Amino acid sequence: MSEDRAVRRPRGRKPRRKVCSFCVDKIEYIDYKDVNRLRRFTNERGKILPRRMSGNCAKHQRQLSEAIKRARAIALMPYTVD
Amino acid sequence: MNKYEVIYIIDTAMEEGARKELIQKFADLIAANGGAVEKVDEWGKRRLAYAIDYKVEGYYVLMQFTAGPDVPKELQRNLQINENVIRSQVVKLLQKKSSVKPRPVRAPFAAPAAEAPVAAPVQEAVAPVAEEAPAASAETVAAPAEA
Repeated sequence: MSEDRAVRRPRGRKPRRKVCSFCVDKIEYIDYKDVNRLRRFTNERGKILPRRMSGNCAKHQRQLSEAIKRARAIALMPYTVD
Repeated sequence: MNKYEVIYIIDTAMEEGARKELIQKFADLIAANGGAVEKVDEWGKRRLAYAIDYKVEGYYVLMQFTAGPDVPKELQRNLQINENVIRSQVVKLLQKKSSVKPRPVRAPFAAPAAEAPVAAPVQEAVAPVAEEAPAASAETVAAPAEA
């Protein structure tokens, strides 16, 4: 995982700035039915990734978490995986 | 009128004819409450992400409709009553808002000019009352002095 390495980077080296993938794709509304996209923002346990991992902007992170929670409620996505 | 989207999971144990009837029933319910069903999308059999009532798969149905604010509540109530519906979710869809509010630009300046002739007689009407008032107060002030 390149992101894991970015967290444990040697002192002084700046990490590459992450950009919000939703802003890049110009997505206004994050659809809870788009499971394939949403799955990229959960870890293997089914937890929602924090912004420092996903690199999302605040606006899209809020929308994303709402969408994932909706998808979970209707059994499109798991609450937990183990 | 708002745009809504409802998604529900029907038990796969249900037969096809009965299932079609059920979907039609919910569509009719929306129409009966003054809504308009725009899209009915049957996803078909799908594996659930987790077991619900020990069921591992369900028949997903998605509907989009335009309706008043009371319809989602009524629809949700009916979905929850029905035993063949494993789970349901009604979501309000985002309406695209224009960033610019439509507003006549010159309106605030034009309005006082049009009102001006109307305002003048009103002022005149008020004036005599204002003149009477000081006279009246003068009398009342004078009264204690007399007593």
